[in-house]
Amino acid sequence: MSEEKVPCVPGLFSEENGVARVHGSRCTGCGTPYFPRSAACHNPDCSGSRMEECSYGGAGRLWSFSVADFPPPPPHKYDKPFVPYAIGVVDLDCGLRMIGQMVDQPSDLTVDARVELVIDTLYHEDGKAFTSWKFRQLAADAARSH
Amino acid sequence: MQEVAVLGVGLHRFGKTGDDIVGTKSVTELCRHAIDQALADAGVSWKQIQAVCAASSRFSGGKGWGLNGNDVVEDMGSTGIPVYNMSAGCAAGGNAFNVGYAMVAGGVYDMVLVVGGEVMPKGMIQTSGVEEVTDPEFLRQRCVGMPGPSFWATLARRRMHEMGTTEEQYAAVTVKARKCSVHNPYARFQKEVSLQEVLASPYVSNPLRLFEICPVSNGAAAVVICSRAKARQFATNPVLVASSAVATMTFEDALPRGLAGPAPQGPSLHTEARAAVKRAFEIAGVGPQDVSVTELQDNTCYYELAFPEEWGLCQPGEAERLLLAGETAPTGRMPINPSGGFVSFGEATTAMGVFQIAELTWQLRGQSGGRQVPNARVGLAQTLGLGGNATAAILKK
Repeated sequence: MSEEKVPCVPGLFSEENGVARVHGSRCTGCGTPYFPRSAACHNPDCSGSRMEECSYGGAGRLWSFSVADFPPPPPHKYDKPFVPYAIGVVDLDCGLRMIGQMVDQPSDLTVDARVELVIDTLYHEDGKAFTSWKFRQLAADAARSH
Repeated sequence: MQEVAVLGVGLHRFGKTGDDIVGTKSVTELCRHAIDQALADAGVSWKQIQAVCAASSRFSGGKGWGLNGNDVVEDMGSTGIPVYNMSAGCAAGGNAFNVGYAMVAGGVYDMVLVVGGEVMPKGMIQTSGVEEVTDPEFLRQRCVGMPGPSFWATLARRRMHEMGTTEEQYAAVTVKARKCSVHNPYARFQKEVSLQEVLASPYVSNPLRLFEICPVSNGAAAVVICSRAKARQFATNPVLVASSAVATMTFEDALPRGLAGPAPQGPSLHTEARAAVKRAFEIAGVGPQDVSVTELQDNTCYYELAFPEEWGLCQPGEAERLLLAGETAPTGRMPINPSGGFVSFGEATTAMGVFQIAELTWQLRGQSGGRQVPNARVGLAQTLGLGGNATAAILKK
């Protein structure tokens, strides 16, 4: 009895064999990573701007986080009744600083903790589960064995 | 380059749709009130205005709830003068002032009206309102669910981690702001609040509470500027514009603005604001130590602690101590937002950069009553707007 899972926006992320990736791009001239894909490199010191597709994921460090304590207005979507959730800003080891909802309860989070990218359900609609990328805080032991 | 003077300023008190202050007034009505006051203060008539720089919030492709300078000119009387509509998110007011300043300084016009005003939609500011997968704002909302205040809360929490800032200290900024607002007849909120009241207000986005984040407001602000030479015909000792600068963010900026960006190498937050303020200091030939009074963009209390450090008004990590010692009050060594700030006014986006010029003008003239900074000689104004926009202006006696 598994519900149908649908990406909340197609083409931005995927999960294969349990590995979550977001699909962006990278400048082969200066190495700058981008998500979502960028048509050109934004680095003013890079004259190359040679972009290639590149996927990102893995672990990183929770730079900071906030909490959505009130239901946000449309086009935000969430399951009702609304339950406050945390939003993280994560410095991924691959070089991206990225925002994403946290799987964990706000009260369980610690700034500078190790986290990993996952794909998880964001909200339900029309009998389907709509997914997005999120981050999950790693326990200290789990971080080492992961 | 001509020296530029602020000849007249005006405000419509800020309020909320349906209240006793703004009621159901349209943005044009609010602007007319502010403009009439600014014209009277300047001692000039509408027909003497040669151009209008309007801070516009009609985001391209967006909701377009706000001000269009052409409506204002039609309402005041269609004299056929040029209208410049400037869009820069919450920095639009500062941007309009900068363009007006540049045109007077450059000798293009010699009597310019700068105006900003809003009738804001209710609730959290929604910038685009479109459901387009090419719109980063939409992706942030749909894929992450990160409402606007969360952006500030993220920064506030990081500061708590790095500097040891406490929730009580953020609350103390609001207490200070509202203490100032008691003496400002233009502020929407004019009552003091206690630390306990602030801390009892609900979290909007933990760690930031309702009383620590500016609400949206309706209001308007207008200033009349001209060359110093022309100003002498109207006033003996007008307030002068020492500098006006605009900047956008740079590549190394570390704020999480979109979904993702290259992880920064250093702690370079708000690069646009710092660059605008730095440039304003350079052009004016003054430094942070010369500033008597600052009006900065405090959408949230966090900024009142972070910005003075980022601009060199005080040392990093020093802001909390200065706040608690009363040094950011009007009578302190580093007065910040004697107007009461956004936390007391609420934000009528495009009016804010213009409102700051009005407040500094009153401060430098010594007309600020119970919120007066003693012997104010140099004033710094700063805005920060969505899209990586920032402005700064320095006024002097």
